[in-house]
Parts: sequence; C-alpha cells; structure tokens
Amino acid sequence: MVSVKIDDDITGKEFLELSFDHCIKCSTCKYSYKDYEPICPSGEKFLFESYWASGRIRIIRGLINGDLEWTDDLKDAIFACPTCGGCMDSCQAPHADYIVDMIEALRELAVKHIGPGPNQKKLIERTLEKFNPYDEANSDNEELKKKWDLPDKAEWVYYIGCTSNYRQQVIRDATIKFLKDAGIDFTLVDEHCCTSPMVRTGQVSIAKEFMNYNIAQIENAGVSKVVTSCAGCYRTMQKDFEKFGAHMNFEVYHTVELIKQLLEEKKIKFKGEYNKTVTYHDPCHLGRHMKIYEIPREVYKKIPGLRLVEMKRNRNHAWCCGAGGGVKIGYPDWAVEISGERINEAKETGATVLSSVCPFCRTNLIDANEKYGGDFEVLDLLEIIDEVGIEKVEN
Amino acid sequence: MSKKQVDLYPYSYDMTENEPHMPDFIVIPENTDQLVQLVKFCNENIIPITPYISGNNVGGLTIPEHGGIIVDFGKKMNKILHINDTMMYALLEPGVTFGQLKKHLDENYPRLRYSYPNAPPYASVIGNALLSGMTNLATKIGSMGDAINGLEVITADGNIARIGSCFYGKDEADPDSWWGRGPIPDLGGLFINWQGMTGLITKCAVQLWPNHPVKKPYLAIFFGLTDVAPFLREVGKAEIVDDIVAFSIEVAKMEIGIPEPKRYPEEPAYSAVIPMSAPTENMMKAKEEILINIVKELNQKGTNIHLINYNEFSKLFGLKARTIYELPAVILNLVEYSGLTWFGSYAPLHKFEDLIERTDALFQKHNVPPYIMMKTLKSSHHGIFRPIFRFKKFEDQERMVKLVEEITDLCINEGCIPYKTPKWMTAKMREKINPGWINLFEKIKKCMDPNGIFNPGRWNT
Repeated sequence: MVSVKIDDDITGKEFLELSFDHCIKCSTCKYSYKDYEPICPSGEKFLFESYWASGRIRIIRGLINGDLEWTDDLKDAIFACPTCGGCMDSCQAPHADYIVDMIEALRELAVKHIGPGPNQKKLIERTLEKFNPYDEANSDNEELKKKWDLPDKAEWVYYIGCTSNYRQQVIRDATIKFLKDAGIDFTLVDEHCCTSPMVRTGQVSIAKEFMNYNIAQIENAGVSKVVTSCAGCYRTMQKDFEKFGAHMNFEVYHTVELIKQLLEEKKIKFKGEYNKTVTYHDPCHLGRHMKIYEIPREVYKKIPGLRLVEMKRNRNHAWCCGAGGGVKIGYPDWAVEISGERINEAKETGATVLSSVCPFCRTNLIDANEKYGGDFEVLDLLEIIDEVGIEKVEN
Repeated sequence: MSKKQVDLYPYSYDMTENEPHMPDFIVIPENTDQLVQLVKFCNENIIPITPYISGNNVGGLTIPEHGGIIVDFGKKMNKILHINDTMMYALLEPGVTFGQLKKHLDENYPRLRYSYPNAPPYASVIGNALLSGMTNLATKIGSMGDAINGLEVITADGNIARIGSCFYGKDEADPDSWWGRGPIPDLGGLFINWQGMTGLITKCAVQLWPNHPVKKPYLAIFFGLTDVAPFLREVGKAEIVDDIVAFSIEVAKMEIGIPEPKRYPEEPAYSAVIPMSAPTENMMKAKEEILINIVKELNQKGTNIHLINYNEFSKLFGLKARTIYELPAVILNLVEYSGLTWFGSYAPLHKFEDLIERTDALFQKHNVPPYIMMKTLKSSHHGIFRPIFRFKKFEDQERMVKLVEEITDLCINEGCIPYKTPKWMTAKMREKINPGWINLFEKIKKCMDPNGIFNPGRWNT
C-alpha cells in the first residue's frame, strides 16, 4: 500500500494506488508488441513522455505525493488521450489490463481538482438536462416503437445508444430492420445515456444513477437480453456497470455477436450479394477493451460476394479512430487527424468500403474521409447487411 | 520544447534507486543543425545537457543531476539512415529502437540480423551500444560497444566530427563509408562509455551479422552451485554458440510464471539458454556434437550439467519460456514492479566460482531470491556478471539498495568493472582506481567539455 493519502471518494482509488508500485517506464506501451508499429495516438502527436501511458502513470504518483501541483497545465497530458487501450495491449507488465482504468481514475481526480478537459463539461451538463450528450431533446423511443410495431414487453431490448439515436440514425434504423427481419422478439425503452462519455472523461458523479435508471428501464421491459449496436455502450454495460456497483440481471450482446449466433444456428440467411471490397476497422471499445476481434470478421466473411481485406494494423494492433475518451469533443481537429491516419491506412488495402461496428467510429471516420479525400463508403456492418437483406429461416 | 512541470516530471526519474531531479526544459530535436545551435548556446551560457532516448539504461544516466536541458532523441531523431548489406552495418540516428531495427531488417534484409539485449524492444540501439551493453551474440562478438563502426558527434564548441572510416571528405559522408574504426587513432574512445559526458552523438554505425537459417537453442541446467562457471569458460572457447545467457534458477522459475521463486534442495542452481546458429544443418550437427562432448567432459570432472533441447522445453511453457530467447522481448519478471536496478559488470571469468558463491550468500542473507545473469564474451576472453534487483520503489527500495551496495563492494573488490554506472557506484570505483587513470580521465573530460555542460555529475564529475 502507498503511504500517501488518496481521496476516499474517488471511484478509481484502487487504480491510483496501483500506479505507485508498477511501471518501470520501459516504453513497451508506446508500440504494438512484437509488431513494432506506433499504437499510441496521444504520444505520437504530443511526443513528450507525459503523453504516453508510462508518463501518465508517473503523473499520478507526482500529483498524489505532491511533487506536482494541480494547475491547468496538466489538462492536455491528462485529457488528450482517446483511451484506446493501445498501451494496455502492448504493455507486458502485470498492471497492463488496468492502464485505461488508471488514466480514467486520474481524470476523475483531475475533474475534482482542476475541472474537466477542454469542452468536456458540456457532456455532463447536456446529459443532466436532456439525458444525452448531444443536446437533443430526449427521445423516449415511443414513436419508434409505434413505427416499427414493437411490443412493451419482449425477450430482448435493443439499446440504441445516443450516437445512433441522435446522429448516426442509419445504424439505428438498419439494426431495427435487421432485428425485425430476423424475427427477434425485441422492444425499445426510454433509455438515457449509458454514461460512457462521462466515465471516459472522469465526470463520474452521475454514472451510477444513470446506470441504475437504464437497468430499471430494461428490466421493466421484462427482458433477459440486451443488444446494442454501439461499441461504447457495450463496453460500458459489460465493464463499467459492475465497476460502479450497478447490477444488471440481463445479458448484454453487441449486434455482431447476435448476428454471428443467428448465422451459426442457421436462423437467418442473406438474400443478396455485396460485391465490394471491404476493410474492417476494429473499434477500440469492442476490440482492445473487450477482446472481440474475430466475430465481426466472421460475419463480414459470410456475406455473399463481400471481399474482406485487412489494414496493416488490425485487431489488437489497430490504430484508433480518434473519437473516444472525450477527444472528439475536447480536441476535435486532432480527433479527425487521428482518423486521417486510419483513412490513409485503409487506402493501402484497395478497399472501397471502410466499415466498422461503432457509430462513434463511423462519425469520425466519415469526418476524416471528407477531410483527407478518402473516397470511401464509410458504413456500419448493419448498413451493409441492410443493403444485402436477410430473411428468417423457418426451421 | 516544453518547460511545463507536467512534461518535465516524467523525465526526472527512472526505474532505478537513483534520486530524481527535475530538468528545466525538454527539447525534442529534429536534426543535427538544431543541436549544433543548442550546444553552442548551452556552452556559452553554461547550461547542462542530458541526452535521453528511452531512459532504460538501469543506471540513472538520463536523470538530469544538475537540471538544464534534456535532449530527447527518441521522438524525432529516430531514422534508420542506411543499411549496407555488403559490409553488414546499419547507420542509425540515436532514437532507433531494437524493435524498429529488427522489423526493418526482417522485412527488407532477412539475411542480416542485429544483436539484441535482454532490454525492452523499445530501448535504443545506439544508447546501448555507446554504453557497451550486452547482446545475444555476446559469446561470438562481445559487447555492442565492440561492434560500433563509426560516430558523428557534436563537441562542446559546436564542431561536428565524424569518427571512423567515414572521416574522409568535407561534406556529408558517403553512407557506404561507415565500415570500420581503424586503423586510425580511435577517437571513438572519447565518447564510447562516457555516458554523454563528452559530446552529443547524432549518428552511429553498428555492425550487423549474418542471419543464419539454421537455428537451435539449448537449455543447460546446472545442479552444482558453481557448475555454470566452467561451462561458460569452456563452451565460450569452443566458438560454437552465439551466446550463453545463464541465470539463477529462481529467474527461470519466474520466467515461466512461478510466482514464489524459491530454490529447493536437490533442484538445479542455475540454468542457461544457449542460442546456436549455423549456415547448414551439417555445421549445426557438428556444433551440437562439440557442445555435448564439452558437457560430458565437464561432468566427468565432477560437474552435474544436463543439456536439453530448448525448443522441446519451451513447448511445455509456451510463449513465456520463449521470451528470453526470442529477442527483442520484454523479460516479464523485470517489469513486475516499479523499480529495477543491477550491478551489471564485466568480470574476470576465473573468479566466477567465487563471485557466484559469495553473491548468492548475500542474496540469501537479505532474504531476496537470487537474480543473477551471466554471460561470456568474445570466446570467453572475459565474462558478464550481473546481479539484478527488482523492487517496489515505494515499499522496498531501502532494503534493496543495501543489498546492491554490499554486492557492489564485493564485486569491485574481485575486479569486476560495472557498466552503465550510477554516480554512487563510480564513487566506490574511484576509491579503487589508480590515480594515474583518474588524472588522465579528468584531463580528457576538462578538455572535451571545459564548461561541464555534458551530462554533469556522471562519474562524479
């Protein structure tokens, strides 16, 4: 145990403590392990040691033991990081799996002492007022339920997530259509933000309350399973709900997991073909954070006609899209710059379609595609499936 | 450049027990011209310059003892400038890492290889070479310092000098001219092992080696405490292996994931991984035969050594067991805590029995599992004796420092010469070094760096 006092009310206190006697600053966090490719968008951009995982771990020590004073100068080193988990995957030390937790705990501590990162306060202010970080009037999803003729009680809830519900609605609509066509017994609920933007940026004061609200909404629908098309919501429900003591009595699936299962059980089949070359971008929240790499690939490969090609950095070594961790709102130009690197990498593959399974990745990849002349169709997997069409197989 | 406290802070410390000091500025240079201006400015204004690449030297050598400017070479001066595959060398900027060089060679020059240390993949090639670090070709070629072909340096007056066969010509050197260091006065000696105290190195050529297609590693286990010593001497002399990395059995246990490393009675005391390579299968067979015969002969004289095919052994333990062999890699047990230090030394091979016994006793006295690595260099002309100490900086440092100091005293008395030395260790060495050497050393330092701007404090300067 460390001999210095850490605020008891910090949710991530145990991760702050962990930083004290771990990390020898060996630089392994900087590059993909054994692949020797850049993995850290933050370090690659800002260069100083303070912008790499080992530097941030040292900053935790410095702030807690008083070597460093709390000033606004700290903000970029603490908040200019998409928490993509590249460091977590590359590091070989026993604390590796907790590096993102450490950074988030550092952010929580920073919010308490010097406030949130640039522009990030809006996330919590908007969410408190309108239950989503996009400043849109809350949709209780009743209209959607009517439009799609969905029941009040069902086996599944489709948890849309704020980005798909308020920005990337094509993903929402394609997912609902898929679930209907597949014959899934599902409904929608009056969901509020899953709290991912707040948890990622250290603004955790509302997290548990919102998590419990969503759990109650979902459980009131009588469901045993939740499916979401958002990698961020998926990660938050799977990992953060428990961390914040919000207990759920239902299973959580990402849409790719459900699709794979339905295909394997031969409950659905594709109706048409998709004769295009597609490259898949691993969302950090599904990939490195949840270790789901192969399931989406298996689904893409089963779509008739679709040719899947890999970018140089893929799976656990994938370069982040740059949107996560509060970077899209806090450092918008840099977020697109990070994504621009991914667009350039995608160009090397010869693909015409850049696809992912995360609405937030889609947003940022589209922005970079426009800015850097990518000339790609940037599509979610569900949009591709929507184009191909599926039908339920009656057994 | 940054002078923000938050940016300076991570440069103020390293993994070792050495006391942190804050720099005043961090500078990330892009080219030599910028550095010439910086050196001239610092020399005029008496501002310390500490070179930094990744700070992995295990000697506190990038901690800015007297503040000033840290020059971080790792971020932008990290280009592989040239590979000469005929004369087998690489011309590098200081920031190039082992992983980067390996990837480049594997992808573009698969018939060539570099020699890799037990350091993390992202330690600097040049940093390690300039400090005479170890390699996994040590039995064959010696240290990395031995394999430097040439340097480009900036001296205190801002002069750029090229050292080695690249010294011809007024303009930029021909990239194919960096093939050797002799037969001229070896000015490389003014910079190699000087810990950045005499100038800034901006380019360095290092030798590459044939990447033989036939590879076979062996594992040797040694049941007698000192059985490893004659093995190192005799196998080294036979010139059949690339390297021998011997380590106490506790290390071997840690490497395969056993959390509480203890040595039980009847267990072997040491083990060694022995990478071998050859251009043909027949040559490999001949080498294996020699190795097996050496072990037989040693055992007939009273040792108890077993040889095992390492590939077979590692199948039992998977990737973990291979990390110590497939370099560059992170040696997992070295990154377990927040602290790591060592007494890494070049050592007289005839004293290894004594060193092993007495060092082992000191580890036992302090109730610390022995962590000792040994190698033999250049066909066993001398050896490497390297007790290593892993510790929790905020919990265990004091106890570990005591042990390191006792081992340092013992080993220096036995004639070991530590490398990558922190200043507390050079202070101990200075008490033993002959005054004539100290006098010459001080004169050279004064001549090369009259204002004491280059990494001041090293070697107690």
